Amino acid sequence: MSLQKTSLHEKHLRLNAKMGPFAGFEMPLQYSGVKDEVLAVRNNIGVFDVGHMGEFFIEGTEAQQFVDYLITNDFLGAGESKAVYSPLCREDGTVVDDAISYKVRPDKVLICVNASNMQKDWTWISSHVNAFNCTITDKSAEYSLLAVQGPKTEALFIKLGLLSPQENFPYYSVKEGKYLGKEVIIARTGYTGEDGFEVFCSHDTAVNFWDTLLDNGVIPCGLVARDVLRLEVCFPLYGHELTDDLTPIDSGLKWTVKFNKTNFLGKNFLTNYKPKYILVKLSIEKGVPRQDYPVTTEDGRVIGKVVSGTMSISINHGVATALISEELFPKDKQFFINIREKLVRANYHTKPFVVGGHK
Amino acid sequence: MSNKIPENLKYTQDHDWISIDGNIITLGITDFAQAALGDIVFIELPEVGRSLARGDTFGVVESVKTVADIHAPMSGKIIEVNNDLDGQPDLCNKNPYGTWLVKIQVASTNDLKNLMDANKYTEFCANAH
Repeated sequence: MSLQKTSLHEKHLRLNAKMGPFAGFEMPLQYSGVKDEVLAVRNNIGVFDVGHMGEFFIEGTEAQQFVDYLITNDFLGAGESKAVYSPLCREDGTVVDDAISYKVRPDKVLICVNASNMQKDWTWISSHVNAFNCTITDKSAEYSLLAVQGPKTEALFIKLGLLSPQENFPYYSVKEGKYLGKEVIIARTGYTGEDGFEVFCSHDTAVNFWDTLLDNGVIPCGLVARDVLRLEVCFPLYGHELTDDLTPIDSGLKWTVKFNKTNFLGKNFLTNYKPKYILVKLSIEKGVPRQDYPVTTEDGRVIGKVVSGTMSISINHGVATALISEELFPKDKQFFINIREKLVRANYHTKPFVVGGHK
Repeated sequence: MSNKIPENLKYTQDHDWISIDGNIITLGITDFAQAALGDIVFIELPEVGRSLARGDTFGVVESVKTVADIHAPMSGKIIEVNNDLDGQPDLCNKNPYGTWLVKIQVASTNDLKNLMDANKYTEFCANAH
């Protein structure tokens, strides 16, 4: 099967990006270099083409009730024009996907889903819609998505007329707006821990907007930098921290499961669930932890495995998240990572490796 | 790219460069290799004195996304490693032909005859695209 292309594919090739397959798309992995790209987002502004992600629109008088039932987090309780991050669970508590749901209008919700789970999500969500007074439409093919991230993004968005200087538009807000006369959806969300915006728009608009951003000195960033940035601030990635076999409670996402809600998919099962795993944050002094490296005690007994690992560009250490068996969790919190048959002592962290600057 | 491949060095199919001084070889990774890897963030080198058989994995070069093994191009013994790379693995990105990884005392200088010269390696890289 040939790979799909985003609206900006041609732009990436012209920038000489290193391209690679991701979730059925040919995507830019890196442009100038991962270090430059990561630092651009932490200190200035970077832009990611994330047009591979899926956009499902839920519309109708019960759109919000339906989304609140689909996700474990509190959607109804969030204010108007707000966005909510949450897993979507099956009745048995396992995670179908994690997604951000946006209250674009009171009767119109946008759910932005992972490209790798799009088909599965569609089947799952549409199988539950009939009980609610709303419809679901997959507009993934019509929408491009650009994530513009970094501490100087707000000033640029004001300059480009996408935000007014006095506007109250906090983190995890969403609004409908116009760019060059074309309708766009602008959200103050992202996957880097920094302040920034995600812009959902038509493909033509995306191409114009991309050029304008680059003309304004914004650095194009690829998926490798995106993975480093999200892991530095310990944001989960489906297929790593979250899978079809785990519940949010196993994956360190208990904070997203709101048991005081009347009902949601997975509530009954999760209410009395005792986790099988505990997600930990680990760093090492030398070397790079990688997915599936065993995590052990000092004497080499395997107690878990790395689910995400990389070299943190911001702190210049190897960093990882790991799932540790609840039963084998060491009371002394001494962890070792088996790297090529050598046990490397790991530092246990209670906070993310990097504190993002989002508002 | 081709004009960057120095004439005075020899090359392996693993994209290592080798300079020869009698039975001592100095080994690094080529510009092609570092470009393919991207930002190099960690290099693990062997202990001095370690004996190598041809093809043995004796170290790794890691970029953010990739782990690349380094193989012994011929049998011999590690006599020196470049400890500067410990804190500055990106020297291999910045100056690949000026940055060596290890020096190996080779068991037989006959093995050196199989290495590519700059012309052959240029051709080899062109076909690798």
